[in-house]
Amino acid sequence: MIGSRIRGGALLCTLFLVGTGLLAAAEIALSDFARAIQSIPVSDIQRVLTAIESGLAQEDFPAPQTLQWIERLAASPFSAQEKESLLLHTVIALENGLPVDGLVTKGLEGLARAVGAPKIEQSLKQRLILLGETRDLLIAKGIFSVAPGSPQAVATALPTPRFNLLVTHISGTVADYLEGGGSPFEGETLYREVRSRLLSLEGAILVPEDVDLALKRIEPADLTRMALCAVT
Amino acid sequence: MRSNELDDILREALRQEVAERSSALAGLQEHVVAELGDRRPRLRLSDWFRQLVAPSRGGRIGQVCVVGGTAAVCLLFGFFVATRLAPDPGAPALRLSPSRNPDGTQEVVFVLPALNATNVSVVGTFNSWEPTALSDEDQDGIWMASIPLPPGRYEYAFVIDGRWWGQDPLADEYVRSFGEYSSVRYVGRGGDGA
Amino acid sequence: MYRGQDEVSLLRCSLAGETEAWGEIISRYKDAVFGLCVGFLRNRADAEDITHDAFIRAYVNLRRYDLERRFSTWLFTIAANLCRNRLRYHRNHPVVELPDQIRGGPDPATVVAREDRHAHVREALTHIPYGYRAPLVLRFYNDLSYREIADILAIPEGTVKTRIHRGKAMLKQRLEECDAS
Repeated sequence: MIGSRIRGGALLCTLFLVGTGLLAAAEIALSDFARAIQSIPVSDIQRVLTAIESGLAQEDFPAPQTLQWIERLAASPFSAQEKESLLLHTVIALENGLPVDGLVTKGLEGLARAVGAPKIEQSLKQRLILLGETRDLLIAKGIFSVAPGSPQAVATALPTPRFNLLVTHISGTVADYLEGGGSPFEGETLYREVRSRLLSLEGAILVPEDVDLALKRIEPADLTRMALCAVT
Repeated sequence: MRSNELDDILREALRQEVAERSSALAGLQEHVVAELGDRRPRLRLSDWFRQLVAPSRGGRIGQVCVVGGTAAVCLLFGFFVATRLAPDPGAPALRLSPSRNPDGTQEVVFVLPALNATNVSVVGTFNSWEPTALSDEDQDGIWMASIPLPPGRYEYAFVIDGRWWGQDPLADEYVRSFGEYSSVRYVGRGGDGA
Repeated sequence: MYRGQDEVSLLRCSLAGETEAWGEIISRYKDAVFGLCVGFLRNRADAEDITHDAFIRAYVNLRRYDLERRFSTWLFTIAANLCRNRLRYHRNHPVVELPDQIRGGPDPATVVAREDRHAHVREALTHIPYGYRAPLVLRFYNDLSYREIADILAIPEGTVKTRIHRGKAMLKQRLEECDAS
């Protein structure tokens, strides 16, 4: 009886320790990124690490995918300069507080499809511009972000993760449209695409009120202006 | 230059800059007050509702009437919407209905007929574009995999014996990426992510 | 009438529509808000406009302010958001103000050197990206904590620290380049 209790206790302890170990392994630290970046290598590693560190502090930062992006970039057949140039888009996005999900997944796709560095560069560059333009557009339309838990200054201030989702999906839609050969001058078409994307995600990962707010305030001409910034 | 020295200089420079330009603020409060005039801070929606059911409007009976009436209207509206949206029990189920897992993910089924293939996998944003194998256990040429996915939007393509193919008939939409097609599925929309 | 009143009383009076009470709030915060705007925008005319707009907007939305939280953080958030909006508007038409000329005269060398230094700092600040400049202004002009800066700019506290560190590094580099030339 006592023996079985001891055995049960030992098993529970072991499971607990293994679980904690697995949990610790699952959490990605800055040192993991440092190791990955060192094998690229980059000319200003401190800058990259500072950017990653700011990303890690955000609750919606896609740490596992970003680490995979850096690791696979390091292992790719591109030159050191090409690798650094591709990584820089993610760094600049993080430095400017922009969500990097779209950049990272597009970078990973480019590597998986084995397209050349210039094609990935072109795609990431366009997407980075659109991320910044989208954020600026939302702010210009009176839609702001506030850190979670902060007092809400005005009714149209969204917690940062929700704001970032709007930025990611609006900019991603315009990027996909342009990459598919769409004309930036077709503002009405762009608006329909954005509307369709946001409504498809409404209730799944986008809050309906946020979708409503964005669609009411954004106009086709705004999207044309954004698209033109990305292509010129 | 030491860090503390820079802090002090920065602080002084900013203070001096503002002090030099603060004459621009002369009369600011008078201008703002004049512009505001008789305006009052905007009411919030909750304030409107509170005013609506305020005791001064017909007393407690008035409050009960307003709240009860509102509730009745909401119930009627909900009943109307529910009867309009109820599925037709006679309609056959055409789509693969994904099952919902306790952790909030949905089992999303990827199916591809590829009769002569030896190796079929799916790559996409849900697996960082690393292959997840599909299987054809009964060797009928229909390859399948069920992947638990949280709500969201996923781009993907199949890889059939090393060749990418991005136009899944079961996809919700398609996008062009690096000059090729990718398929897109939405998971969690209306409870049906198939 | 409102001069000696505490802030909460002034805000309650303002909520009741007493705009003169709001005038007293403005007199207490105008330098802080204007300084924030000057620091962020690097343009006096815009800073004046935004300071005015911030107080109008704050009054109109006063019911959204939670009296239990710090009023200055809420007010500065409104001003910061308006500044960001204005910067976006001006992005294609940058307006850079030249540093003020140092007055001539028989000033002691150390005083001239210090004024020179201030002018260089102000010039250098104009060239630092907004994302790094804003936290510097809130820290060194408005004397806010990292937590408050994070709330106002809607970025994590860790990001505030790294941006201040990097912003100072950029400032220092520009000042050293100035000294060398």
